[in-house]
Amino acid sequence: MQKFQFYTPRSVDDALAFLSHNAEQTKIIAGGTDLIPSLRQEDLQPAFVLNILEIGALRGITEQDHRIRIRPTTTFTEMVESPVLNRHFPSLVQAAAFVGGPQIRNRGTIGGNIGTASPAADVLPAVLALDGELELQSKRSGTRYIPLSRAIAAPYKPLFQPDEILTGIILPKLNPEARSTFVKVGRRNAMARARMNLAVVLGMNREKVITEMRIVPGAVMPVARRMERAEGALLGKKPEPPVVDAAAEALAKEMVEVTGTRWSTEYKFHVLQNLFKGVLGRLTA
Amino acid sequence: MPIERQENLLRMKVNGRAVEVQVDPTWTLLRVLREKLGLTGTKKGCEQGDCGACTILLEGKAVNACLVMALQAEGKEIETIEGLGTPDRLHPLQKSFIRHGAVQCGFCTPGMLMSAVALLRKNSDPSAEEIKRSISGNLCRCTGYAKIVRAIQNVSDFQEERGHATGD
Repeated sequence: MQKFQFYTPRSVDDALAFLSHNAEQTKIIAGGTDLIPSLRQEDLQPAFVLNILEIGALRGITEQDHRIRIRPTTTFTEMVESPVLNRHFPSLVQAAAFVGGPQIRNRGTIGGNIGTASPAADVLPAVLALDGELELQSKRSGTRYIPLSRAIAAPYKPLFQPDEILTGIILPKLNPEARSTFVKVGRRNAMARARMNLAVVLGMNREKVITEMRIVPGAVMPVARRMERAEGALLGKKPEPPVVDAAAEALAKEMVEVTGTRWSTEYKFHVLQNLFKGVLGRLTA
Repeated sequence: MPIERQENLLRMKVNGRAVEVQVDPTWTLLRVLREKLGLTGTKKGCEQGDCGACTILLEGKAVNACLVMALQAEGKEIETIEGLGTPDRLHPLQKSFIRHGAVQCGFCTPGMLMSAVALLRKNSDPSAEEIKRSISGNLCRCTGYAKIVRAIQNVSDFQEERGHATGD
């Protein structure tokens, strides 16, 4: 049976002060859509649960000249409805729009999606493809920054110190010629864990030569990452069918190198290529 | 078995009325609504956010009550099915559900209605696609959904009824 105490700090300082004393026995709760089922199943038995949803400084989206800052307890619904994100990062909006269902999206948060670091996360690959950087704070060490690409060690294992709170997700704006998109394959239209998702950023110059290529498939490897070989196969080239096909195959092969052959490989090897070709076709149209 | 339990005071507004109740900090809002406040219209289905039977409105947004810790509702406004209508004064949505045959066992119905309320407050004339998306977090094992969608869609042009056949 769970026996934790529940605290709701009203400021980041309060939260950090609490964690500086109790970090090892504390679980942080935001939307709770991952944590609460875990608590019910007693996967973990913390002494304290720290509710960060009432800290205003941890919520919201700010646009600066060259970057956009998303605070961690911003919900998926807020992301979907954000004019700033719709204008600058359609891929992030699409990723958020298909997490769970409406009830989950009204509570689940971007910080939680990253902090839980599920291999099947949707928003996480989109943030990776956008070169997202995390801002973390603790009372002990102050503020530090780490690219998301270096922040996840293994499934469900983000490299956060126990006394740290994620306080920001920083995304550099894209070049004007670059566009982002995201697709998800699931067993259902809603309330579905991703069987596979794909976040892509593509930029082309006026001669239709690819100047920017970022490919992050999700739910196909333990930890999502940029697929550099496939990206290299397209950078500096025009997206003609033979080039795209070769890059798609390189992408699928790179995935299998990481995962080895699993029961799902026969399916994912083909579907990932088709997903990629479809996305590229739409982005280059 | 006596277990030493800490209890915390929870103050919130439920269906327009201020409520103060001592709660076990490990409880979810769903459990508090049902077991402390006797509001059993909100149903316990999967208790892990997959079925939507426990859908309520928290600050006007549809959420699974099983995925809200009770103390996260401190200071918040909650609306449950009991606040929507009563047997003597059914809400137009409830009447529409009955009229369209959108209720069979009734277990999903409170959650469906709350999701529909959230939608109709933002969009008073939703398309079938918008309705389906708004209830995509609510499972129904009985009806096949078509009559539920129709009931929500046709309440959009609901006019006040008088002397209806069901006698309400």
